[in-house]
Amino acid sequence: MYIFKNALRCISRSKGRNILIGIIVLVIAVSACIGLSIRQAAENARKETLDGMSVTATISFDRQSAMSNMTPPTQGGDMSSPPEFDRSQFAEMMGSSSALTLEEYETYAKAQTVKDFYYSLSVSLDGDDNLLPVSSEDTQTEDDTENNKGGFGGMMPGGMGGFDRVMGAQSDFTVVGYSSETAMTDFINGTASVTTGEVFAEGTKDYECIISEELATYNNLSVGDSITVINPNSETESYILTVTGFYTDTTANENSFSMMGMTSNDPANKIYMSYNALQAMVEASEGVSETKTDEDTGREFETALTGTLSATYSFADVEGFEQFESDVREMGLDESYTVSSTDITAFENSLTPLTTLSKTAGYFLIVILIIGAVILVVLNIFSVRERKYEIGVLTAMGMKKTKVAMQFMAEIFMVTLVSVIIGAAVGAVASVPVANTLLENQTTAKEQQFQNMEQGFGRGDKGETGMPGNMGGMPQGGFMKDFIGNPTEYITEINSATDVTVLLQMLGIAVLLTLIAGMASMLFIMRYEPLRILSNRD
Amino acid sequence: MSLLSLKNISFSYGKKIILNDITYDFEAGKMYCITGKSGAGKTTLLSILSGLAAPGSGSIFYKDEDIAKIDKYKFRSKYMGVIFQSFNLITKFTALENVMLSMDIAGVKDKQRAKKAAELLAEVGLDSDEANRRVLMLSGGQQQRVAIARALSYNPDIILADEPTGNLDTETQAEIMEIFRRLADNGKCVILVSHSPQVAKMCDECYQLQAQKKG
Repeated sequence: MYIFKNALRCISRSKGRNILIGIIVLVIAVSACIGLSIRQAAENARKETLDGMSVTATISFDRQSAMSNMTPPTQGGDMSSPPEFDRSQFAEMMGSSSALTLEEYETYAKAQTVKDFYYSLSVSLDGDDNLLPVSSEDTQTEDDTENNKGGFGGMMPGGMGGFDRVMGAQSDFTVVGYSSETAMTDFINGTASVTTGEVFAEGTKDYECIISEELATYNNLSVGDSITVINPNSETESYILTVTGFYTDTTANENSFSMMGMTSNDPANKIYMSYNALQAMVEASEGVSETKTDEDTGREFETALTGTLSATYSFADVEGFEQFESDVREMGLDESYTVSSTDITAFENSLTPLTTLSKTAGYFLIVILIIGAVILVVLNIFSVRERKYEIGVLTAMGMKKTKVAMQFMAEIFMVTLVSVIIGAAVGAVASVPVANTLLENQTTAKEQQFQNMEQGFGRGDKGETGMPGNMGGMPQGGFMKDFIGNPTEYITEINSATDVTVLLQMLGIAVLLTLIAGMASMLFIMRYEPLRILSNRD
Repeated sequence: MSLLSLKNISFSYGKKIILNDITYDFEAGKMYCITGKSGAGKTTLLSILSGLAAPGSGSIFYKDEDIAKIDKYKFRSKYMGVIFQSFNLITKFTALENVMLSMDIAGVKDKQRAKKAAELLAEVGLDSDEANRRVLMLSGGQQQRVAIARALSYNPDIILADEPTGNLDTETQAEIMEIFRRLADNGKCVILVSHSPQVAKMCDECYQLQAQKKG
């Protein structure tokens, strides 16, 4: 106990030296606190958001994996040329095994962590003469429409004719059938809304639909009118749908309008209906299906409508999603399929500047601690040498060297602790503005980088970066709903960063610095012999 | 019975013999003076007696126990009170704090330590104002008194003093010697190292150290 009292006395009697050490530790502590707070803010942002985040996931076919798993073709005599890719085998594989059936999706939905499950079916259809797709062109000719029917097959070198049959020919419209209202995520999250009329009855088998306001205006349609859609593979096969309402979609923009020149990809040309109704349409089409031969490729195909089924699984949290991944593998999901979550990917992207800043702060922290420790060690060595006589007297009086060393260590610890406490307080106050300023710089740099890239591809003059630049002020944790399906929105502001964890880490730093500096002085103290010190003094 | 016994103590620095085969007994209640010319090895002998240095050969017995077998820190802090020639006080502490620190190191559990330390300082002639002054602010004589009070603070059996009057005026010398006399009369074994004939005269026994020839 007297060691600590003695240490306190020594501190109070050597103010100059201890204030100098205190200032150095204070600078280290403030820097360390800011660094740790930034790291903690990043960790908190991740944890808190992930904790309260409802995650959705989809199962999709991994085409690249499938390509690499294909049976290698037999190589000819010329070893120098690469083996030729077997497109027909690939098309066959894509057609036969890539799409999971609804039954399979439903099987995986039985996994324990799945909170909700919904699905949708997308089918490409043409309109009749009274239903033209919204187009950027002033007029759309019959030829244009015909060209579109070529779909992927027409655009791909070598004519991968199998694709359009599998995925549905690219036509005027994309008709989407939803299993439930929950599946209509655009309407749930507010990016789309019914403005006139009402949505079709949930689960109905009636051919009822909602169309975009733009499409309605383009074709002079009113709620209650009927529209006729046609099977692009068979002009004689048509279906009459009743329009129950119009919707607007805020995601409709110029970029999507002209994407790949396909009008069906334009959000304005999307027609929404019940899954049951669309499935009934597909089944009806299968009933009247014929076998035809493609004029370009000479391949035979069925005229029946084919759709793309996509299912979405919802989980209470990220752990649920991670558990689902392993569960579906156990349930037999092939490695050719990937389980992915756009929510998590978008979330990870939003954290990029903060994560980068956190890493930088980590390196900064290490450098600060190393420099700080070196300075403290040097100061302590000088201090011990300066107090050599005192050490000699104490040991001559019978105080053990270990106790002398402990007293010296206690002195360093007390000074360090006080400085760390003050440093933590200053750091806590400074960390938020400093972190936000650094974060803003990071975000600006990211946006600038993206703009440069856009300009490099000749898109910069449009002034569209694809990233919102005014996301500042977004509080931590309150942004997930905004960026589902939207361009990346970065976290540009943190509210509070210095918490108990940071304070404990600061305490750890105080102990660490004390130990490092104390060890150096201990080495010297243990070497000193009182007789020699006192004799030299005499 | 002797309190401290030297048995065939020798010590040398390299080839230079400082102490050669010294055998001597110190008893309680007596004041001894170790005299000798400069370089005769007085301070070396005091260092060996206080446990700060180990003899080259021979043994020292404290109450018949070889001090080589006693923890040297314990020996210095409990059994032996050393008063150095240059006092060796902690200069940034007050006189009182120096005395109390010595008691702390010796493990004195007395709750009245501060009071006892003040009494000791008063006994050696320092008032409360001087007791609470940093030792650097005290005169040589006062510092010597603090050193004596510190040496007495844990009530050791033996008091060792190296040239205790060397830096003092005649009046203070007399006062200090009076203190030592009183301690010896109270049963302590007081060993003084000095080349002063006046000091030697006031002691009960003297031991003359002879400078050794080169070995």
